[in-house]
Amino acid sequence: MKKYFFKIGFLIPTAIIAWLAIMPVKSAAQEPQFTASAKSVVVVGERFQLQYRFTAEGQGFRGPNIADFDVLNGPSTSTSSSVQIINGQVSREVSYTFSYILSARREGSFTIPPATINFNGKQYTSNPVTVQVHAGGQTTPGGQGSSSQQGSQQKSSSEEVDVFLRAEVNNSSPFIGEQMIISYKLYFNNQIAGHDGFQKISSFPGFWVKNLFPNQREIPTTTENFRGKQYNVAEVRRFAIFPQRAGPIEIQPQESEITVRLRTESKRKTSDPFFDSFFNDPFFSSRYSDISKKLSSNSLTINVKPHPTKDRPENFSGAVGKFTLQSQIDKTEVKANEPISIKLTVTGSGNIELFDLPRIEFPRDFEVFDPETKSDIKVTTSGVSGNRVFEYLVIPRNPGNFKIRPIEFSSFDPSTGNYSVQKTPEYNITVERGDGTSSVVTYSGTVRQEGIQIIGSDIRHIKLPPYQLRPIGLYFFRSNGYYLALIVPFLLFVAVLIIWRKEMKKRRNVELMKNLKATKIARKRLKLASNFQKQGKESEFYIEISRASWGYLSDKLSIPVSELSMDNVRVRLSAKGLQEETISQFIETLNQTEFARFAPGAKEENMERIYNGALEIITKIEKELK
Amino acid sequence: MKKSLILIFLFAATHLIANDNLLLMEQANKYYDGSEYAAAAETYETIVSNGLESADLYFNLGNAYFKLNNLPMAIFNYEKARKINPHDDDVLHNLQIANSRIIDKIEPVPQFFLFQWWDILVKSRSMEQWGRISIIAFISFLVMALIFLLARIVRLKKAGFWSGMAFLAIFILSLILANQHYQSIHNRTEAIIFTPTVTVKSSPRENSTDIFVIHEGIKVQITNQLGEWYEIKIPDGSKGWILEKDFRKI
Repeated sequence: MKKYFFKIGFLIPTAIIAWLAIMPVKSAAQEPQFTASAKSVVVVGERFQLQYRFTAEGQGFRGPNIADFDVLNGPSTSTSSSVQIINGQVSREVSYTFSYILSARREGSFTIPPATINFNGKQYTSNPVTVQVHAGGQTTPGGQGSSSQQGSQQKSSSEEVDVFLRAEVNNSSPFIGEQMIISYKLYFNNQIAGHDGFQKISSFPGFWVKNLFPNQREIPTTTENFRGKQYNVAEVRRFAIFPQRAGPIEIQPQESEITVRLRTESKRKTSDPFFDSFFNDPFFSSRYSDISKKLSSNSLTINVKPHPTKDRPENFSGAVGKFTLQSQIDKTEVKANEPISIKLTVTGSGNIELFDLPRIEFPRDFEVFDPETKSDIKVTTSGVSGNRVFEYLVIPRNPGNFKIRPIEFSSFDPSTGNYSVQKTPEYNITVERGDGTSSVVTYSGTVRQEGIQIIGSDIRHIKLPPYQLRPIGLYFFRSNGYYLALIVPFLLFVAVLIIWRKEMKKRRNVELMKNLKATKIARKRLKLASNFQKQGKESEFYIEISRASWGYLSDKLSIPVSELSMDNVRVRLSAKGLQEETISQFIETLNQTEFARFAPGAKEENMERIYNGALEIITKIEKELK
Repeated sequence: MKKSLILIFLFAATHLIANDNLLLMEQANKYYDGSEYAAAAETYETIVSNGLESADLYFNLGNAYFKLNNLPMAIFNYEKARKINPHDDDVLHNLQIANSRIIDKIEPVPQFFLFQWWDILVKSRSMEQWGRISIIAFISFLVMALIFLLARIVRLKKAGFWSGMAFLAIFILSLILANQHYQSIHNRTEAIIFTPTVTVKSSPRENSTDIFVIHEGIKVQITNQLGEWYEIKIPDGSKGWILEKDFRKI
């Protein structure tokens, strides 16, 4: 099956080709034609086409030597071929076209010499072409197609050309940046056969331009009375223009080219008035001539006023028109590292594309991306309006409370001549701590901290009991207790010192008294002893003598009697600086006293001797100690 | 007289309160061990609001806040603990870790070595310790003075004089050191920033120039005050004005 289809699929085109090859081809037998054609009448400077058509596949086309015209383009080749099958007869037509675009240089009648081409070894020569060149703006009969034959027969026109182009502005003294409309209107009372699209009207030095008729379209026609005459009017171009500088600005005349179709008087006269009028209709009669005409509009002078200096806001940046500013924020409470979007929208009509909004100042810890700008500008016939959106995307990197300060946008309203200042609201943004350890993860340039984190480190565990809790702010240092702890020892110190001193003094006084009284007491005792001696009381006498001696020593040496003995008396007395002789005498006296008490013998004599000895030695010590 | 009576009363009263608070302390420790840091912090704070403090309490509270990732509160409490007990190794360690996690890293301006030594000396003991040392030194000085004044032996007198002078020197030094602590505790010239992000102004006005931005947890010195505006100095020496609400004094 497959094979079969393949065969069929193969067979059909093969069959057609074979059939075409077998069929007698008529054209091959026909003599080829080589003809030249061009507009017979042109205006100086007009562009026209020169065509050479050869009805076979020629080779070696040699173009004419065109000396009287400027060759703007060419030769360019185009090919067309057609196959006709009529009643089994196949006719195949091939035509080669070589075309030039020429431009007439000067007036006069010029002949373009023939061109040559080779086919089947034979050279073909075209016909020469004669072109009549007229001065510009003159009425010239239309010269193409079927009308050329008519035009050659009929040359007198029945109408005058009444066409002109006018420029109009809606405001001749605008402010800088104020939107104004300039329109170009074609006034005509003729039939318009064609135009160049008025695309040359486009240049306005000193203005920013927005084309309000950007797309080619049908041009509606109205009627208007201009200078007492009724005209058909077509507004061909309209622009919104925005003056860029103050002072008078001249808008130069704008040029355009149109072709006017003028009716010519008909020579065809029929008896039938109906048909007459019917065929006199330009559509049918085709008795007309096309005239090419250059149009030049009027020039306009615009007096551009500067913006008034009175009350001009400082931040005025050239926005002229009626605008409203809106500000939108998607959220005011976010977590750190979550984006916030803030939209500023300017809506209105005016030079909306020509200014930028002041930038929003964000807190430093915000990462700010360049605002995304979206424009939705509508160009309507009444001018330019629309909105522009500035969308900021910011990412707060650290938690905190932030303020986004308002921005001020000032614009100038030319209709009222006043400035208006619009302010966006102030936003308070609360940034919460983000998820995770966002305080460590920070991207904001200058405050980044690096290389401190100790890997695997953690805080040490809490302190365990025992605790010593104290009232807050109650410290020992400089408290009353502290001062007491200083003062009490000091007072003790002073007290100890005073008591000690007093005691010392007291003791010294007693000794002094005893010292001073020592001799007196000794004398008293000796007197008492002498009384006992007289009474003959022997033992009392010796006791009294002993007391006098030992008591005197005790008082003089500040040593209690109990601590005195025969052994240490010598040491003590020598420490007091007594002479050895005196000490020996004193000890002798003491010994004699002890001895005499218990010794038998002359009692009266002994008592007398000891009394005198004691008296003598005490007196002697008294003298030496002084 | 009245004052000392009140003090005595306070000591007596706080001793009674302290028992309850010690129980609270243990409760808070249990919360902490059970990873219920919020409850732990709250309980520790209750003790503070009861009017009691200690270095350990502030340390534990700081730990609880650290675990809650509340760095400014953690640093604040560690600093308080350090004020009471400046040479506690645990406090210093945890404070260093907390400080390493805040946003701002500011290199302190290096100080003249004598000032550094002095600072080390001041912080080697707490105020209370210096106070106690001063009293002991004073009493020793008085004893030595007595010996000097009352001794009858010349050698003893000499020893009393020189050691008395040494104790007097120790007394004066410890008094100065303790007083330095006292000034820092009572003047409260240090503060921790609590507002997450603070823009420091050049002058005490809202619309003055922004100089620099600091973030929560950083310790600053308060150098001046004008109304609700405070002049602060950050460790690298920069100065500027911030609002009262942005920080808490230690």
